[in-house]
Amino acid sequence: MNQAAQTKTTATKTTNTSRKVRGLVKKMYQDAHEASRRGEPTAYAFIMSFSDEIIRAMDITPVWTENYAGLCAAKRDAGRFLQSATGEGFPKDLCTYALCGLGFDALRARLGQMPPQAPDGGMARPTVMLGSGMMVCDPRYKWFQALQRYMDVPFYAHNLLWPPYPCDLDEAEGYYTRFLARELRGLIDFLEGQTGRKMDWDRLSETVDLAERTLKIWWRAYDLRRAVPAPMPSEDAFNCMVPGWFLLGTREALDFYTELHDEVKARVDQGQGVIPEEKYRVLWAGGLPPWHSLSIMNYFESLGAVFPIEVVYRPWDPVEISPRVTDPLERMAQRMFKAWTYRFRRADSNSGVPDVELLLEWIDKYRIDGVFMHRAFSCRTVHVGQIHLLNVLKEYCDLPQLILESDMVDVTTFSEERVKTQIGAFVETMEAARERRA
Amino acid sequence: MTVKGQKTGLARAEEICRDPAAEARRLKGQGQRIMGYLCCYVPAEILTAAGLVPYRISGEMRRTPTLSDAHLEMIMCSFTRSAFDLALRGGYDFLDGFIVPHACDNIVALYNVWHRSLKPPYSRFLNVPHVVSPAALEFLESEFESFRKSLAEFTGREISEAGLREAVALHNENRGLVRRLYQLSRTDPPRLSGVETTRVLKAAQVLPVEESSKLLGEVIAEVEERPAGPPSGRARIMIHGAQEDDTVFVELVEALGAEVVIDDLCTGTRPFWHDVDPDDPPLRALAERYLDKIYCPRTLRPRQGTRQEDLEARFGHIRELARQWKADGVILHIYRFCDILGFDAPDLKRYLQEDGRPVLLLEDEYNLSAEARLRTRIEAFLEMIDPGRRGEG
Repeated sequence: MNQAAQTKTTATKTTNTSRKVRGLVKKMYQDAHEASRRGEPTAYAFIMSFSDEIIRAMDITPVWTENYAGLCAAKRDAGRFLQSATGEGFPKDLCTYALCGLGFDALRARLGQMPPQAPDGGMARPTVMLGSGMMVCDPRYKWFQALQRYMDVPFYAHNLLWPPYPCDLDEAEGYYTRFLARELRGLIDFLEGQTGRKMDWDRLSETVDLAERTLKIWWRAYDLRRAVPAPMPSEDAFNCMVPGWFLLGTREALDFYTELHDEVKARVDQGQGVIPEEKYRVLWAGGLPPWHSLSIMNYFESLGAVFPIEVVYRPWDPVEISPRVTDPLERMAQRMFKAWTYRFRRADSNSGVPDVELLLEWIDKYRIDGVFMHRAFSCRTVHVGQIHLLNVLKEYCDLPQLILESDMVDVTTFSEERVKTQIGAFVETMEAARERRA
Repeated sequence: MTVKGQKTGLARAEEICRDPAAEARRLKGQGQRIMGYLCCYVPAEILTAAGLVPYRISGEMRRTPTLSDAHLEMIMCSFTRSAFDLALRGGYDFLDGFIVPHACDNIVALYNVWHRSLKPPYSRFLNVPHVVSPAALEFLESEFESFRKSLAEFTGREISEAGLREAVALHNENRGLVRRLYQLSRTDPPRLSGVETTRVLKAAQVLPVEESSKLLGEVIAEVEERPAGPPSGRARIMIHGAQEDDTVFVELVEALGAEVVIDDLCTGTRPFWHDVDPDDPPLRALAERYLDKIYCPRTLRPRQGTRQEDLEARFGHIRELARQWKADGVILHIYRFCDILGFDAPDLKRYLQEDGRPVLLLEDEYNLSAEARLRTRIEAFLEMIDPGRRGEG
């Protein structure tokens, strides 16, 4: 990417709270190395797998492998790891988070040491690897299975299923939540067996409580972003998701979002916006960010377009769990079930697509002028179905739409000139649509 | 072979393979209801017990999809795009229902699009867990019970335990016949070619189970009458991959002088190699079979023992097929954007090579988009194989 896209814009867009995130990230990888040195357990793991509270309550230090790939991409240092993986025979079209991670560990195995100048000191070698058999995201169990080629480390995956849409929620809730709670129990059994540590169930309950409080204040902070002008942009949120998804179940995460909430509220009260003259509000309606080229969002802003909210890396919707449910695993299971089925009933009476219901709700709530998606070529989990979503959305809402194609890790897929041309045309379309409405 | 105007055996299989929809429309004309399903994780036994015809959905290997581009991303696997393309062309207008199992990210996404866009009279997503565990088994039994109830509601007919047992027996018989069919390609030369096997299996997966078994029986009887010839000297090949529901790729390999004698494909041996236990309660037995007895890389069995033992558990069945059918080489035919097979490819390749078998890894599209390149690579592979090593194992 040339210098233009890297240019920084005015500083008002970045919240002070989000400036703490880079330090937190560095510390996370450092913490894992230190835990390893002390002989304490560490785990390769995936965010949003409902294992956070369990890991934290057992004092196991996580290493978030997907996000390390994102870090490598942001540092423009993923290429050598991707090449390492394809050189090992992995097809190049696989998830590049996984390819980057596999390439990293393959290289470490070949070198017999940490790859030189690995970003943030590299990923600590784990004691265990925790995958998940998810509703979507096949790499979340295939990656660590394949990784055993380079590291003979115990691997466990728990099932993480939620019902498809449509379904009879009343019928499904019982056997789905029972299943998830048992799977989480299986994860605890595995960790107890591997680490020799026993679960402190009172502590797990406290950790679950902490996580629930964190998710609520995080959601409330983001709810404030409906204000005009936008008090906090999506590129800020792509940083601010770190405590929520990487440190969930810790006091640090709760404090972070409490501070963020207060700062965003102050910005709203003062009418402080992201850019001096906000002309268009764009919904980040889907797709993992191109971590290698996030500065392209500056180009949107230079044209008066701001992203007030984003569908990805958002906190779970605020679901209500009965206080009568006191078992921590049942609480986690209910949170997952209710969060994933949050808009099912609304979809029944409208579009027939829960994700479209989210977009429609947010287009109204955040006063959106245009809908944007990024499509990462290597990830089916998040990116297949985007065309369908936008097609259905168009039946209900005629806002301009744009999909940009590249990848979340592989910078060679990104063409700045092409992207800028597309963004320019998109902004013109938003302007034309506004004139038609006037 | 034709008897009183009605083709039988291989001729009938070829006819159905060429136009499976015509067969479905014939059945529909007779008042039968046709339920399309994807992948080998849908318990066809429950459909049969409900009086419905299970119909395995395919794409069109001989056509590049175009209509589906307006609905599905190019980063989806080419099989799912092709199957939906065929649906958009009206190729599945006879379906009374559409059933998708939780097999991989690609077909999870396809379910959402198909269900909303084509609005079949009945649609159902079956959530099959990826990871084998006691809780997963209990869950899948509940999921199948829910499936049974929804089909009973759709058809207005009770699906009894006796009906399920009868359906299990019929499908076990059908699977047994397919395994007998494969025995016909163990000989040298094989009595049944890879192209013929593909045709028969495609036909067998779109017919009501009784008709399917009748067809298989006819084919077996017909082929068993073929005289045994002298050894052909042609390389014996195994193909591993996903859905090869037309003969295009097998034709290519056989046209280059090889014999495709065995496979590990989801329209080949994979759905037929293991039966449902007829003595257990039917839904429990079905859950056990569909959770743990189908050897597809989409299912994760928790590792037991050493790394080598884990590799044996994951790939040992493929090696055994290669050994028993005396395969001289194995082609891993992996479709682009298939994460499930793609992650396994380096381990599987090495595992089979360590057993002394040459392996060719082809990353390709369902529609064989680059046939000339494939031809060159397969030719080179066949030249590299030394037929003199055949017979080991």
